[in-house]
Formats: sequence, C-alpha cells, structure tokens
Amino acid sequence: MRRKTELSATPGRVDQAHGSVLDAVLAIALKDATAELRRRTAVVAVLFFAATALALVSFAIGPFGLPPDDRPPVQAALLWIILFFAAATGLPRAFAHEEETGTALALRKTLPAGRVLAGKALFNFVLFLAIAAVTVPGFAVLLEARAGSAAGLAATVLAGGYGLAVVSTFLSALSARAGQRHVLFVLIAFPLLSPLLLTAIQATLEALRGGFPGTPLRVLIAYDGAASCGAYLLASVAWEE
Amino acid sequence: MKILKLLLLPYMAAVVAAAFLWPEPAKGFIGESSRIVFFHVPCAWTSSLAFVVAAAYSLAYLVKRNPWHDEVAHSAVKIGLLFGVLTLITGSLFASIMWGTWWNWDPRESSYLLLVFLYAAYLFLRAAVDDPERRARIAAAYALFAAVVMPFLVFVAPRVTASLHPQTVINPQGKILMDTPTRAVFFGALAGFSGLFLWLLSLDARATRASRLERAR
Amino acid sequence: MPSATTLTAENLSKSFSGPPLFRGLSLSIRGGVVGVAGRNGSGKTTLLKILAGLMRPSAGRVLVERDGRPIPDPDRRLAVGWSGPDLELYGELTAGENLLFFRRAAGRPERREDARRRLRDCGLDEEAFDRRVEEFSTGMRQRLRLAFATLFEPDLLLLDEPANGLDAEGRAVLAALVARTRERGAVVLASNDERDLAGADERVELGAGAGRKA
Repeated sequence: MRRKTELSATPGRVDQAHGSVLDAVLAIALKDATAELRRRTAVVAVLFFAATALALVSFAIGPFGLPPDDRPPVQAALLWIILFFAAATGLPRAFAHEEETGTALALRKTLPAGRVLAGKALFNFVLFLAIAAVTVPGFAVLLEARAGSAAGLAATVLAGGYGLAVVSTFLSALSARAGQRHVLFVLIAFPLLSPLLLTAIQATLEALRGGFPGTPLRVLIAYDGAASCGAYLLASVAWEE
Repeated sequence: MKILKLLLLPYMAAVVAAAFLWPEPAKGFIGESSRIVFFHVPCAWTSSLAFVVAAAYSLAYLVKRNPWHDEVAHSAVKIGLLFGVLTLITGSLFASIMWGTWWNWDPRESSYLLLVFLYAAYLFLRAAVDDPERRARIAAAYALFAAVVMPFLVFVAPRVTASLHPQTVINPQGKILMDTPTRAVFFGALAGFSGLFLWLLSLDARATRASRLERAR
Repeated sequence: MPSATTLTAENLSKSFSGPPLFRGLSLSIRGGVVGVAGRNGSGKTTLLKILAGLMRPSAGRVLVERDGRPIPDPDRRLAVGWSGPDLELYGELTAGENLLFFRRAAGRPERREDARRRLRDCGLDEEAFDRRVEEFSTGMRQRLRLAFATLFEPDLLLLDEPANGLDAEGRAVLAALVARTRERGAVVLASNDERDLAGADERVELGAGAGRKA
C-alpha cells in the first residue's frame, strides 16, 4: 500500500495523505534512539545498573557453591529480577523525559497516542534487548548458567522482554506526570508484570534444564498480545491532557 | 432498599452463628478448621467481585466521564483490598492449623497476594495525581489495563502441578460435594458477604461523592 | 476569504479543581483573525489548547470540519496548527531533524530543501537547520515554534503569545505568516499585548466571566 508522499509543500493545498501506523512507530523509535545516543544518560545508567546488579548477585551467590542441579531455579529467578529492575530504571523514561522537557505537547499535537506508545514501546524493547545482551552472557559467565535449550532461552527473553517493554511503556505514560514517579512506577508495575515474570522464570527454568518451554512460551505470547491490545486501545486515555 | 440494609446485621449474625453451630466439621480437616470455608471463600469471592465492579465502573467513567462512576470504582478497590487482606489472613490461619506454616507459596495464595498488591498499587496511583479529572482518568486506565492483563495470573497458578489448596467448591465432576447444612451455610454466607460488600460500597462511594459536592460549593 | 476548514466550539467550560476559568463559551472560527485577550491566568492558553485538541474541556465540545464534515483522526490533528509558550522541540536534535521527524511520523515526509525553506520563511538562517535546538536563543526558539505551527500547511492557526521574545524582524515574519494564513483560512491569536491584537477582525475577552465581542 503506497501512500501519497508530499515532496513539496505547496501553501494552501490540503494533503489528504494518511500516515500509516508503521511510519509513526518507526519514526518515533528512531527519534528516541537518536536522542538517546546523543544524550547517553539513560542507556549508560541502565547498563551500569544491570552490570552492578549482576556483579552483586554473583558475589552473593557464588560462594555458596550450589550443586549444579539446584542452580537453574535460582538463576532463572535472579535473571528476571535483574531484568525487571533494570527495565524499571530505564524504560519509564520513555514518557517521563518528554514531559520533563516539554516536548510531549508537540508529540501529542501531531500524533495519536496509540502510535506514540507503539513507537516508544519499540524503542524500549530495543533498550531491553541491550540490557539482556549484557545480563544473559553475564549470567553464563559469572553464575555458570548453562542453557540446555539456547533457542528456548532466546525465545523466552524475546517474548518476556516484549511484554515487559509494552507494559512498562504504558505505565510510563500513566505515571509520566504523577508525583513520586520512580517509586510509583515500580509499585504499579509489579502486580501487572508478575504474571509475565513468573511465567518467564518458569520458561527460563525449563530452558536451562534442557527442554524447549513450549507451554510457558504460549502463555507469554498470549500475555504479550493482550497487553499490546490493551495498551494501544487505552493509550489515548493514559496520555491525554 | 433500606429494609435489606437493616436485615443485613441480623442475617450476618445468623450466618456466623450457624457457621459454628449447624454443620459438622468436614472430614479430612483438623478439628473445626473446615468452618473457615464459610468466611474465607466469601471474602475471596467478594474481593474478586470488587475487581469486576471496579473495572466495569472504570469503563463507565471513561465513556460517560461521570465522577460518580469513578467514585464507585475507587470505593470498590478500597473494599476489595479489605476483603483481599481478610482472605489472606483467614487463609493463613487455616494453613497454620493444617500444615503448621503461615505461608506456603501456593499458587492460589500467591495470586491473592498479587491481587492485594494490585489494589494497593491502584490506590498509590490515585494518591500520586492531584488533579481530580486526571486522577480519575488515569486510575480508570490502570484498572482496565489490569483487567486485561491480570487474568493471566489465573493461567499461571494452575500450571504448578501440586497445590496444597483444598479442592475448590466447583470441582471437575461438576458436583457440589457438600452436605446440606454445609451447603446452606456456605451459600448463605456468600450471599451475606456479597450484601455486605454492596452496602459498604454504597456507603463509601456516597461519602466520597458527598465530600466532592461539599467542596464544590 | 472563508476557510475550507472550520473550527466550532460549543459551550466550552473548563475548571481545574476550583471555579471555572470560563463557562459556556461558544466560538465559530471561519475566517479572518480572531484575537483572544485577557490578563495572565485568564485562561487564554487553556482555551487555545482546548481548541487545538491538546486538552479536554470540562464541558462542551470542539468540532473541526472541512466542507461541513468532521475531519477524522489523525488528519484532524494536522488540520489545525498550534504554537504556545509551553511548546518545546527536541533539544538533542537539530531544527531540521525536528521538522523532518514530525513530518515523517505524521506520514508526510518532505525533502530537506523544503524543511530548510520552512525555517527560512520563519526567519531562521541557513545554519540553524543543522544546529541543535538546545543551542537556540529565545528568539530562535520562538521562530521554530512558528515553523512547527505551520508544519502541515494548516488552514487554521492557533497562536498563543506568538510574539514572545521576538525582535522587530521576528514580528515582521509573524505578521507575514498571519497575513498569509488569513488569506486562505483563519488565525486565532492569543496575547497579553494589545499590539498583537490590533489587526484582529474579532475579539474574545477572557477573564471574570468569559464574554465574546464581535
């Protein structure tokens, strides 16, 4: 489906081109990425946080010398706890920063909330993958985690991360102009993300033990679908003036 | 309406008395502990009902933007929190009698704990927004989003194979395995607690509305 | 000349947990320049935001129509241009990147040359295109706001304190912009400064019980 591209601005001519959702989503994600790369505050802070948490966990758990069979549940749980808190540090900036700098108005004037949310969720998903790229190998090295099913682990990180990104972005929109933003975010995120985290932990556990976690993955994907629909439909309510 | 409210007190008194006096304690339970089903289950039912009410009225608020709907949703969450906490306490008491521990990380238990956290989170969110219209709108968005996402908890819970939680009232055979006195008191309690919920809901919501109207004058 | 795009406000009122800023305000923007006057805090910014769709009124509604029919979202957002003192663009991006981003995101990408021309039309020089907005002066930022307001060639412009921080040259640019838009549509201009409202065809007075003067 080709949409009409307005290449020259002719004053007085009203263009009836419909912007596609994908245009908006990609443009926003790219813009957030560009701005973030130039600013570098969020990315650096979040990756540092993940690395610190990883180090702390390794120092704490390492000396206990858990027998290899007992390790997977602990590793699975700790992985997602670190991912959750790292995400809670970085992902809410999606909307918070726009409100702080005053650019939210320009965005809201130009685009429907659903598209803005989708674009930011995409950026947040990429940010999450960056966190996972640091954390998961870190686990393999420092906590001697061995994934029996690497594909299963990868699928879990992707499916779990997507849900985490979507829900975090939505809640970021909700809490963008509330007081006590940082604490508030964790409080309101925890109950909603718990089903996701528990399922992801279960899936990670199965993957670490060698099996492809089919059942938990199905639940994750269903959760992701429901959360995406819910977030998109409620976006304008969450982010209106 | 008023007559129902007045009857609620003697009715509930009768239910409580009956719970302790009429049915025999169930087999397979330690001592009189099975009687807790007359309190624990209705509390659980009520706090779940509160969630549905809150979600429904949140949707109504977003459609109509009538502050009353927001007040009802808010009250429903507060009362849902109350009954949720009671569910956890009664469940915990039962667990301590049956298995000697106060908490077991049973999926059903944990899902109620999360429900309580959800209610608390809703209330925190409300407390963090000053402007009444924005507060109502944001709270409604949160409640509806939760309604979309939280049911997955129901899928997470049963996936654990073994559960300590006693078989629920509705079981695979589709029959209610209770004798007549137990059944009578159980459903009586369920009705009574529901009535209690509706009455508290009405009271709290109307009180909130009254203070809003008072401020507007 | 009457505008193809019209904005109608019916019975608007707005209050922020207190007495209403205005009540029962109805407007019909069909052409010319409508001046909105009132002291600080009288609700000019709020009114313009409501007309722009950035805020919901406590009561009443705003209709944006073309040839008598309501314009569907998302085009509706682009049919009315707005600029206000709260408006900020992305500091880490250059002026050019900002404009190109908003055009692309709205599904109406444009060439760099066209974006450059826009900035020139708003009185920003060539090198501003590649300068980060965080380095802009007050006057430059204001010019950029005007560029944002006219980004989608709207027939209807809502300008809130558009002359803030502008020098004589900037004011001339603004006047030209208003004149151009007035030719094919309408402009609603809110200001504390009577100079800005001098050429208005109609006036709306806000504050102490909103009223409307033709």
